[in-house]
Amino acid sequence: MALYPLISNFQHDFVLQLLAVDTENTMDEVAAAAAHHSVGRRVAPQPDKVIRVRRQGDTEFFPRDKKLGESGIKPMECVEFIFADH
Amino acid sequence: MAILQRSEWYDLARTTNWTPKYVTDSELFPEEMSGARDVPAEKWESYDEPYKVSYAEYVKVQREKDAGAYSVKAALERSQMFEDADPGWLSILKAHYGAIALGEYAAMSAEARMVRFGRAPGMRNMATFGMMDENRHGQIQLYFPHEYCKKDRQFDWAHKAYHTNEWGAIAARHTFDDLFMARSATEIAVMLTFAFETGFTNMQFLGLAADAAEAGDYTFSSLISSIQTDESRHAQIGAPALQILIENGKKEDAQKLVDIAIARAWRIFAVLTGPSMDYYTPLEHRKQSFKEFMQEWIVGQFERSLLDMGLSLPWYWNQMVDEFDYQHHAYHLGIWFWRPTVWWNPAAGMTPECRDWLEEKYPGWNDTFGKCWDVIIDNLLAGRPELTVPETLPIVCNMSQIPICAIPGDRWKVQDHPLDHEGRTYHFNSAIDRWVFQQNPARYRDHMTLVDRFLAGHIQPMNLMGALQYMNLAPGEIGDDAHQYAWVERYRNHPYQRKAA
Repeated sequence: MALYPLISNFQHDFVLQLLAVDTENTMDEVAAAAAHHSVGRRVAPQPDKVIRVRRQGDTEFFPRDKKLGESGIKPMECVEFIFADH
Repeated sequence: MAILQRSEWYDLARTTNWTPKYVTDSELFPEEMSGARDVPAEKWESYDEPYKVSYAEYVKVQREKDAGAYSVKAALERSQMFEDADPGWLSILKAHYGAIALGEYAAMSAEARMVRFGRAPGMRNMATFGMMDENRHGQIQLYFPHEYCKKDRQFDWAHKAYHTNEWGAIAARHTFDDLFMARSATEIAVMLTFAFETGFTNMQFLGLAADAAEAGDYTFSSLISSIQTDESRHAQIGAPALQILIENGKKEDAQKLVDIAIARAWRIFAVLTGPSMDYYTPLEHRKQSFKEFMQEWIVGQFERSLLDMGLSLPWYWNQMVDEFDYQHHAYHLGIWFWRPTVWWNPAAGMTPECRDWLEEKYPGWNDTFGKCWDVIIDNLLAGRPELTVPETLPIVCNMSQIPICAIPGDRWKVQDHPLDHEGRTYHFNSAIDRWVFQQNPARYRDHMTLVDRFLAGHIQPMNLMGALQYMNLAPGEIGDDAHQYAWVERYRNHPYQRKAA
């Protein structure tokens, strides 16, 4: 367990933000933490969608239950949070 | 005794180069300070300043300028300008004074470096007057806002800003240190006077003087006009210096200095002047949009002076022009959302009529930035103001020191531009900012952004209160919506309807 800073680049938002998460968090938990700072503040909620996580520039998402500590994402790497159907 | 005409003695009087006997030439003019770039002294002597003035003439004119500005101020002291002005206008004043006043003293030091280390006698002469100009600008832009301190504590930031770690002050210091405090005389001539002053501040001051008159603030208008006439004179120090560099095979070097300076100046201009023109200025007083202003003055006029000089447009010119469409909208949204972190009260500029104007000037605004503002407006109407303030820090660009931001909404296009250098990852707003870093990594690599400082534990406690304390923002100084959210009521029971095209 270790505090892990990331850069959140949230779909439809305008700014990169600092995100404090934990290596034990799953991608769904990381996405929820990122949503806290964007959705309902400057990004309209999309209740029928889930938020998926990918590296900047990638097209593939990480599995939703993948733990951050096992993902290979580096501290302060810019991670994209994207609304998806599942 | 007959007095000679200036033109009869000027050239002789400024022939002030000599052959040193007790020290070497390189000790008298160290490269680090003069930046002569191996261009021989006699070549620099061909420097011909386009604007010539004697000390007696300078003092006479400056005295008249000061007398004019101070007498307008005295005459209008009992006017109700402060009480009657739109709060958005007062925000422009606060942002301007805080960002500029002490920067003028920095510019004075830079001019002084040209006075002492400039290789061209004419440059030294011109810079002597430039140095005195900047001293006057520092003083007058502290004295005028001082009167307002007793009415509004945020005006104290005219003097305070540069002494703090407030993020905008860090951005201004980082830029001005790079462009003129930590540069040689030749580099200052090119980067401060040619690129920054000719390209940007001269225009900003022209535009601001007109806006002030339009807003009924004649005191500020006369102050700014008074400064602008100095700027247009001493901004001419750079062009002949550039000419000498180009004639002596240093064009590539000169081009790089210009490209770095314009890249950095554009960011400061976008964050300071962009929101002022397109959001803080009341709609009825807006003459042109920030984009139109940039296209007229930077693309139309400055572009020509670059080409006339024999220089090329910076490699990123088209990308910078593209940014006229969105960058300052993103900066404005960021400043408003992180409003407790600035020393002025940002005006949202978000009435339905303002949105119509934004859509007209920037087609697609409602589908991009408007989407974020829709959420903000919904929260304010629903009594959820806590969702209109941040709970984390934005990521700050390792070059501009301004948050990394771009286009939201339906045309979402936001991106980090990272760079790994000597084991550290740096984050940039654009390829332009990253390119500036790459020109001299050793110069920039050790600087820590506000976010770097936060992660290193310099900001305690690690929350908004800790951040505000770190930035020296005291109660009564912390920014809030300029109009106390009155504009939000326009949307109650009346959701925004786009004006038919």
